[in-house]
Amino acid sequence: MDVLFFNKKIMKVGLFIPCYINQLYPQVGIATLQVLERLNIEVVYPSKQTCCGQPMANSGYENESVGTCNNFINNFKGFDYIVTPSGSCAYHVKNHYNIIDQTVDVINVRNNVYELCDFIVNILKVKNLKAHFPYKVGIHKSCHGLRGLRLGSCSEIVGESFSSIEDVLNEVENIQLMPLTRKDECCGFGGTFAVAEEAISVKMGKDRIQDHLNNGVEVITGTDTSCLMHLEGLINRNKQPIKVLHVAEILNNIIK
Amino acid sequence: MGQKKVLMIGIKKEKKMSSRFEILLKIKANKPDLLDLPIIDETVFYEDIDHISEFKKKVEIVGGNVFESSSNQDVINQVKSLYPSTALNFSVLEGTEAFNTIDLNTLKKPHDLVDLDVLILKGTFGVAENGAIWISDKQLLVRVLPFITKHLILVIKHSDIVPYLHQGYELLKGKDNDFGVLLSGPSKTADIEQSLVIGAQGALSLSVFLMQD
Amino acid sequence: MSHSKAATLFNENEAKVNWHDKALWFVRHKRDLSAHAVKGWESLRQLGSQIKAHTLSNLDNYLIQFEENALKNGIQVHWAADGDEHNRIVHSILKASNVKKVVKSKSMLTEECHLNPFLEADGIEVIDTDLGEYIVQLAKEPPSHIVLPAIHKTKEEVDELFQKNIGTKPSGGDPQYLTNEARKHLREKFIQADVAITGVNFAVAETGEFVVCTNEGNADMGAHLAPIHIACMGVEKLIPKQEHLSVFLRLLARSATGQPITTYSSHFKRPRKEQKMHIVLVDNGRSVQLGRPDFRASLQCIRCGACMNTCPIYRRSGGHSYNATIPGPIGSILSPGKDLKKHSSLPFASTLCGSCSDVCPVKIDIHKQLYKWRQIITKEVPQPIVKKISMKMMGNTFSKPNHFKKVGKIARWSLRHIPKSIINSKPNIWGKERDLPDGPKESFDDWYKKRKKDEQ
Repeated sequence: MDVLFFNKKIMKVGLFIPCYINQLYPQVGIATLQVLERLNIEVVYPSKQTCCGQPMANSGYENESVGTCNNFINNFKGFDYIVTPSGSCAYHVKNHYNIIDQTVDVINVRNNVYELCDFIVNILKVKNLKAHFPYKVGIHKSCHGLRGLRLGSCSEIVGESFSSIEDVLNEVENIQLMPLTRKDECCGFGGTFAVAEEAISVKMGKDRIQDHLNNGVEVITGTDTSCLMHLEGLINRNKQPIKVLHVAEILNNIIK
Repeated sequence: MGQKKVLMIGIKKEKKMSSRFEILLKIKANKPDLLDLPIIDETVFYEDIDHISEFKKKVEIVGGNVFESSSNQDVINQVKSLYPSTALNFSVLEGTEAFNTIDLNTLKKPHDLVDLDVLILKGTFGVAENGAIWISDKQLLVRVLPFITKHLILVIKHSDIVPYLHQGYELLKGKDNDFGVLLSGPSKTADIEQSLVIGAQGALSLSVFLMQD
Repeated sequence: MSHSKAATLFNENEAKVNWHDKALWFVRHKRDLSAHAVKGWESLRQLGSQIKAHTLSNLDNYLIQFEENALKNGIQVHWAADGDEHNRIVHSILKASNVKKVVKSKSMLTEECHLNPFLEADGIEVIDTDLGEYIVQLAKEPPSHIVLPAIHKTKEEVDELFQKNIGTKPSGGDPQYLTNEARKHLREKFIQADVAITGVNFAVAETGEFVVCTNEGNADMGAHLAPIHIACMGVEKLIPKQEHLSVFLRLLARSATGQPITTYSSHFKRPRKEQKMHIVLVDNGRSVQLGRPDFRASLQCIRCGACMNTCPIYRRSGGHSYNATIPGPIGSILSPGKDLKKHSSLPFASTLCGSCSDVCPVKIDIHKQLYKWRQIITKEVPQPIVKKISMKMMGNTFSKPNHFKKVGKIARWSLRHIPKSIINSKPNIWGKERDLPDGPKESFDDWYKKRKKDEQ
């Protein structure tokens, strides 16, 4: 396995694999782990992890998520950083874990949970992962990561442009990042919204896909598999000529 | 009998007071602890730009037309060539009374201005960032004038253009106007399928004449 | 009807959804161009937010100060605890002068109080003079947007309405022609009106004046001709000082439509000679919302509509699907405060994308309040038993690692083995228009354990 030389103090990193990635998209988890290990990070995957609690909490049932939150803390206390291939999970832990007792462990976990690209660019201070991906790629800027965690600048706010996912993808060899017509409109997944407001959810997803198609995108990528799962579900049903990959999978496509 | 009347007046007064009392009581009970009023530091907005050209640009963006002029009579001449055969005209500019075909002193009610064609007023100050001009009732002999006229002409001096609205309100501090309006462009609407139409209920056109001092 | 049902109906006409979505996105886009051209825009938003928050924390005193100054200015001040009282007050002012004809410029407050039907029931003619409001008045519909009331109407629909109601010639929806005809018709109404009713964009405590912003000039054509001017406002529209208008007038139109300022920002301080001026201060639930720390900031709203223009759900479902006077994101945090049960579907009509909060000129944390309303609604409004049970089950599954692994295994197996025709059958709402992912043989957990074993 290729090992990128990484010159930093030894940090203990816990890997959180979101529930639906664990069960339905394990390849995203595998790619995330391999990207981090190649950066010479000691990655621990606590085996009793399950979910961050979002599905219940976003549906208005944060009370039902208390057991889940406590399980998360039990698994991830004691790490220097907790890294996850999901902006929305990181956002949820950071912002909505106020419903459990704010012990030292809880506070530390909340302060140190990071989405993958954010961790790579802002903690590890690395941008080039020696990856290779000769395709036209459209970035779907998932909302919880973008406007929740400020992983990048959004089109609504007036200020300097920045984006950790763009930073790492810009360094990928032979990649072509395609500009979109609506840079950061929501895909329409929204958790149980996808089912509760099915018509709008589907329409929003279809519109996002069309934007990528109109702009010549071959592969849609992003930080959140929830969004990508929703888009891929539509693409597969409608047999559209476009693929979906999590950013970890692109970053893990290393130059041999 | 007299006592009962006094009692009833007291109760009636209390009933009249009760909504006000009730609302204020509720607000007092429910408001949060006092938060500070922020201090406005205008310097964060300043840009090193030519404010006169910015003003001209903005007036045009909002659908107005900008002209330069050297004298009141020159304004009249330019206006006459813009609107050659108008019946009802009025100008407040000194020395231009010959232009006027109506006498505001004989006006019975503001409604009688409904067919006014051309109106020339003076603005107090202009704001570069949005092309607006402040007119107060001190310049408006009749309040409805700038709205009811078909064509509106505003005359403003170069030196009366301020960069931002903040400076405009500085100028208004302590000025006690019964009515005033920040007027930017001709009346307009985009309520039919977002198509911009110039000329809604107010003036159909706005011409701004910039005068040197 | 719940929002989701109304939205589903709206989406039956995809072409209309695309048209509506594009029209509103265009307004959002104009807002972006305008905001990005203002140096210090984010500072302006911060100031707007702080001034409003401060005002709310001292609202009673500012109202008293405003009343004192307005009375000194010769404006009659009335207080209405709720919408009904507001209507009665306005009606009594009209009755005292035997008023038959009223012209009204845009006021969402009067919509909220349902003023028009109240007055019309007593034979009083009320003409909404804002062109968009006039269109929906003729169509006998409520406005679907607080700034662009007729955004849901095509020009052909407007053309037919005008033909029927004001006798215009068929024009294929020519906006110039229709606007000109409306001008002629409404001009006559202004001339005949006994009373002009306007809204209030901002009321200034320091001076006892209030500001009304329009592009059409209809508020002024009403107010400067009619012998009586009644201004109706929610108590939260107050600002402390005249100088604060510089902040709000820089924010308002840019956020609403992308214009640097509305054509007219009219500052009313005293009635003109021989005119009577009234202002009606309305509570109607605002003092109660003030007492809710999580939702208090919703009262900072300056009614610009930017949140509606940016909301991907609003754009694709239309204002009427919210079944509330104020629709869209801001409506979804204000309305539950008034009637939790009636409006319980609104906070769920959102993906919590946060775009609304980022365009709000006074930085209301709309998406955070939507999340908070959800927690309250599931507790206080009866929920479908299936939802309650499934949430409890999920909570249970996710707090027990071994259970989670078992359930995950079953889910993956099902996706692999159950025929697609069954998976995507009617009960599976997701499956109506989307495929589910294939069920992988191994979870990440399985893979990791295997790798660990192999390494040993």
